[in-house]
Parts: sequence; C-alpha cells; structure tokens
Amino acid sequence: MRVGIVGSGTMGEVHAAAWRATEAELVGVFAANTNQSKGLAEKFGCQVLGSYAELLKSVDIVDICVPTYLHKEMVLEAARSQKQVVCEKPIALSIADGREMIDACNKAGVRLFVAMVVRFFPQYRLARELVAKGQIGNLGVLRLKRVAYVPQKPLDNWYADESRSGGMLVDLMIHDFDYARWLAGPVERVYARSSRTLYPELPGDYAQAILRFKSGAMALVEGGWVYPPGVFRTAIDLSGTDGLIEWNSDEPAPVRTLMASKDGSASSVGLPTSGLSEDPYTTEIRHAYDCIVTGKPFDVAAEDGLEALRISLAARESLSTGKPVNL
Amino acid sequence: MSDAAANSLRPATPNRQSRLSRAGLRLGILSFAHLHAEGYQALLRQMPGVELVGFSDEDKEQGERFARQCGIRWFSKHQDLLKEGLDGVIVCSENARHLELVQMAAEAGCHILCEKPVEATLDAALAMRKITELHAVRFMTAFPMRFAPSARAVQGMIRSGQLGRIYGVNGVNHSEIPKAHRAWFADKKLAGGGAVMDHTVHLADLLRWYFQAEVEEVYAEVDNLFYPGEVDVDTAGLILLKMTNGVQASIDCSWSRPTWYPRWGHLKMEVVGEKGAVVMDSFSQHVTLYSRGAARNPSWVGFGPDANRAMLEEFVASIREQREPSVNFKDGLEALRVALTAYESATTHTPVKLEH
Repeated sequence: MRVGIVGSGTMGEVHAAAWRATEAELVGVFAANTNQSKGLAEKFGCQVLGSYAELLKSVDIVDICVPTYLHKEMVLEAARSQKQVVCEKPIALSIADGREMIDACNKAGVRLFVAMVVRFFPQYRLARELVAKGQIGNLGVLRLKRVAYVPQKPLDNWYADESRSGGMLVDLMIHDFDYARWLAGPVERVYARSSRTLYPELPGDYAQAILRFKSGAMALVEGGWVYPPGVFRTAIDLSGTDGLIEWNSDEPAPVRTLMASKDGSASSVGLPTSGLSEDPYTTEIRHAYDCIVTGKPFDVAAEDGLEALRISLAARESLSTGKPVNL
Repeated sequence: MSDAAANSLRPATPNRQSRLSRAGLRLGILSFAHLHAEGYQALLRQMPGVELVGFSDEDKEQGERFARQCGIRWFSKHQDLLKEGLDGVIVCSENARHLELVQMAAEAGCHILCEKPVEATLDAALAMRKITELHAVRFMTAFPMRFAPSARAVQGMIRSGQLGRIYGVNGVNHSEIPKAHRAWFADKKLAGGGAVMDHTVHLADLLRWYFQAEVEEVYAEVDNLFYPGEVDVDTAGLILLKMTNGVQASIDCSWSRPTWYPRWGHLKMEVVGEKGAVVMDSFSQHVTLYSRGAARNPSWVGFGPDANRAMLEEFVASIREQREPSVNFKDGLEALRVALTAYESATTHTPVKLEH
C-alpha cells in the first residue's frame, strides 16, 4: 500500500523511518515547512507533495504528524477521501472532536489508528503482560513518570500554546494516563496539580495527578516539560498484592558511551530512547500497517485514544477547579 | 486527656543542674515496642559521655528478650526506670501510648525524644504539648531524615537557590508492611492508622524544613489495597499537597514493597526546579548480597551513614546545652496534622485546607 506523511517535524521524520521497515511504499510528504519537507523527502527517497489534496490522491494510507489542533480537519478529509488513517496522539483537543473523527472514519469504512506509542515500548508491554498473567496479584498503587524538557521549536512553538497542543497534560501525560487505564481499567476520579498555577510566567510545566480506578487501584502520574534540554526520564513502579514491577530509564543501557567531548545538542522534542533491536515507533507503525492490510483489530483502538484524552482533560479541569473530577 | 490525668500534673522539681554536673548524661528508653529502639540502644552505648541506664517495657517476654539480646538493664515498670534519675528518655512505645509515657517522663523532669508520629490523635498530641510545657521539659521529635547527609544536601540546594524557583516535589517513602517486625504497626488502636500514619510524617517534615513553609492543602487517596482482610488499617496512600509557598508535592506512603523486596523499602525525593532537578535516594548506598538461604535474596545491605546517630547526638547536645532541640514538638505536630488531614481528604474525596 502507498503511504503519505503529513508534517515534517520530529514525528514526521520518526514515522518516515518506521514506514521504511514495512512493505508499504512511502510515496511522499506534504508539510507547511517546505525546507523541512524537502530534507525529509531527500533523506527517505520520496516526493514532496504540493498540497494535502494532492497527497490524498496519491496514497492509500495517510499518516498525520501535524500539530494536534490540525488533526480533526485532516482526519475528516481523509475519511471523506476513503483513505486509511494513522494519526499522531493525542487524537484531538476535545472529546467532541475525537468522537466526530472516530465516527467519520467508521462511517466511511476506513481504519483510524491513533499512535499511542508507549503501548509499543517493550518494557511497558512486558510489564502489562506480567500484570495480566497475575504475577503481581491485584494492582494496588501504580507510579508512572514521564518528565522531559520544554519542546524546542524556534519558529512557532505550538506545543507551548495550550489552544493548539492541549498543553503538557494532554500532549505528554496522556501516554501514562492511557497506560494506567490499560493496566487498571476505567478511571473513577482524577485530581491534579500543576506548577503553571504557581508560575504561569515560567516556561516549564510540571504536574502530578492522582487517579483512582473503579477497580480500587490508585495511580500517581508525574509529567513535565521542565528538565534541562536533552533530559528525558521515564519510570514505572507497579505494586500489587503478590508482587512488584520496577523499571526506570536511569538504569544503565546495554551500551553507554563515555566520550571525551559532548556536543550538548538536543533534538527539538524529547523522545525516550531504548537501545533495542527495533525502535518502538517502528514496532508501532509495522503493527498499524499489518492491521490495516489484514483487517485485524489494532492493539490500541481509537476509542482508547479518546478515553486517554478524557483523563487528560479531566486532570486539566481539576487544575482549574482545584477539586477532583469524577469521570 | 482525662481530668484525673490533668489534675495529677504538677511542676517538676528535678535537680537537673546537679545531674548535668555529673560525668555523663543518664538516658533511658521507655518501651521497646518500636523497632527503632534496638538501633538506638546500640548507638547510645557507643556514645561518649552518655550512660544508657536501661529500658522499660511492661511486656515481660519482650523485656526479657531484649535485655538478653542487647545486654542492657530491663525495668518491668516505666516508673522504676524513671526513678533512676534520668536526664532524658527516648519514647519508643506504640503511637497511641506516647502521651502516657511522655506524661510520666515530664513529671519525672526528663527531656524527651519521642518516636514519630508524635501521637495517634490530635487531642493526644496537644495534651502532650501542655504537659511538657507545664513541667518545662524539652521535646524532640524523632525525624532522623533531617540528619541524613542526602536530605541536608537537598535542603542546601533549595535554600541556596541553586535550583531556582521550585516547580514541585515527587516524594516516596515505601516499605514492606512492618507487621512482621512489630504487629502493632498494623493495629488501628495502637498505631492510629497504617501506612499513612507510619510514613507521611517523614516526607511532610522534610518539605516543611526544606521550604520553611507549612502544608496548606492536602488531597489523598487512601485504602487497604495490599492486605485486604488481613489487617484493619490502610496500606496504600497517595497524597498531593500544596505548601504555603505554593509548591506542590506528592507523597507516596504505601506499604507497597513485598516482604521479599531486597530491603525494607526506601525514601526518595525528586525536587524539580527552574534551573534543574535533584534526585535523592537516601538509602541508595548498598552492596547487593546473594546469600544461600537468606530471608531476602538478594538483599541490599547498606553502607550509608546512619542518620539516627546524628539525631541522638542532637538530642544529647540539646540536653547538655540546655537549649531547644533542632527538631521540636511543633515539627512533630505539624507532620501529624498532614497525616490526619490525608485521612480526612480520603474520606471526603476533597482537598482539605489546614489552618495556620
């Protein structure tokens, strides 16, 4: 099948590399930033397409890697054009928008894959499998960490604009809200605090949320765009009645370099690295492609992406009301 | 406190000066119910200028066992130990018996180092304050983390401004359920609660000390998720609070480590600031031991500094120098209020404000 990518930022490039590991043909890329899209096309040997309409005409699958506020219109147009859709997370900025996107794709009979990549990170997958097998008994307290640095976008930092990105709780913490829900089921109550309440003038955003699940389990989810550029730390600590699972990104990687000089450069948006045989983004795209080709259900449904967004938005609401929010 | 107990209060008439003029300070341990008592007695016996007169415990089996095990004098009645003319005592009873022992010690004119939390209820804690004030004895709360080099380093970084303005703190004080060591920790009547009562106070105290601020608002989820049907206290607790300086902090006080974890648990804190972050893992200094037939296998055997030693030294110094100890009653009281407020929030599902 033929694939076209919209957007030439960090995720566009990561997905382009991932598509190369599939049998799909990467036809081209369309992006607002023509310099960037040219570079990407050269690097991956595909065309630069002049418009979204042109891209839709030349592909079977469209991979939407544009800022979140643009997801809805592009997904709706793709559905109208009967194209299969891969869409970066978060699915949308509101539940109503996400609902409309899912309904449109269902109605058009096209697949919609929301790229919740954390579900494809092997340690997160393994931990979830161990929990599902009953290795730690009934879940008690979950601790999830995802703290990175403020996304660096010198031209137009849409991440910093909550009206376009949803803010850190929607863009970043959604991963762990989704993972927590994947492990422990539906959420009953959310309470959150953010440093933005205290220091709206500072660029950093650090938040912590307590989730209570219908199952009785509870979770502490920590997220942030606060660390010095280049630092990205993630961790899971899952405790149950019969055991415990611990993992954190501070643990030594299989290969560590100890170089005489360090260049100090950081990519514009932090991504967790893994030192694995396959990059989790590739695992994710291979999975999406396989499901689109064979008609198998996705491991993470668009509805899951929507439910994760619901938790993010509830946490954000809790920030403004200062009260827990019931779901 | 009952009226009868209040009527029995009378100003202490200790001959404190003459005691202090003796070569060494005379100390005693009131009750061995708390597992820290074993560590304290070992440290006190090594301390120059200190004489550990003995310990009291009304449980005959426990008293005889520790007397034999530690080689120190056992008194089957607290009053008998207090009659020995002590300068100070360490109260290591169950939480809900602190008031009773503090009262006896205060009436005997002894300065007090009291295990945390200071009591099981707010009323009992306030009664303790009255008694110590009435008898003019000083009260130190046993918060050893204040004396841990790791916590002191973090405190220094925050106070010096190295981290810039503080975005928030992520705190963890996990452990296994302590009931295998001492059953009363999981007995609501004697402990006042479970994990929240046991662990919240350490981190709450560090936060107050780091920021020289009080805890203003507390939200918590609390439940018995790890030993349902086995114990009648909470074993899981997540707390998200706001300090009076606006800084948010979370405290995970859960007894969520399995009893086969390589160590009892840990105390960790990450402070995230404008200019960087500091990651503290106070008990990280350990070797990993794989020993055939060991209860924990592997086990993490620590080689870090023992904060209890410095805490006991401060208690001793405060008696010698006749001054307020660096961790006082108010510190213990405010930390207890945070734990009690967490229970209230968990019951009402709403953030609860603390008056200051």
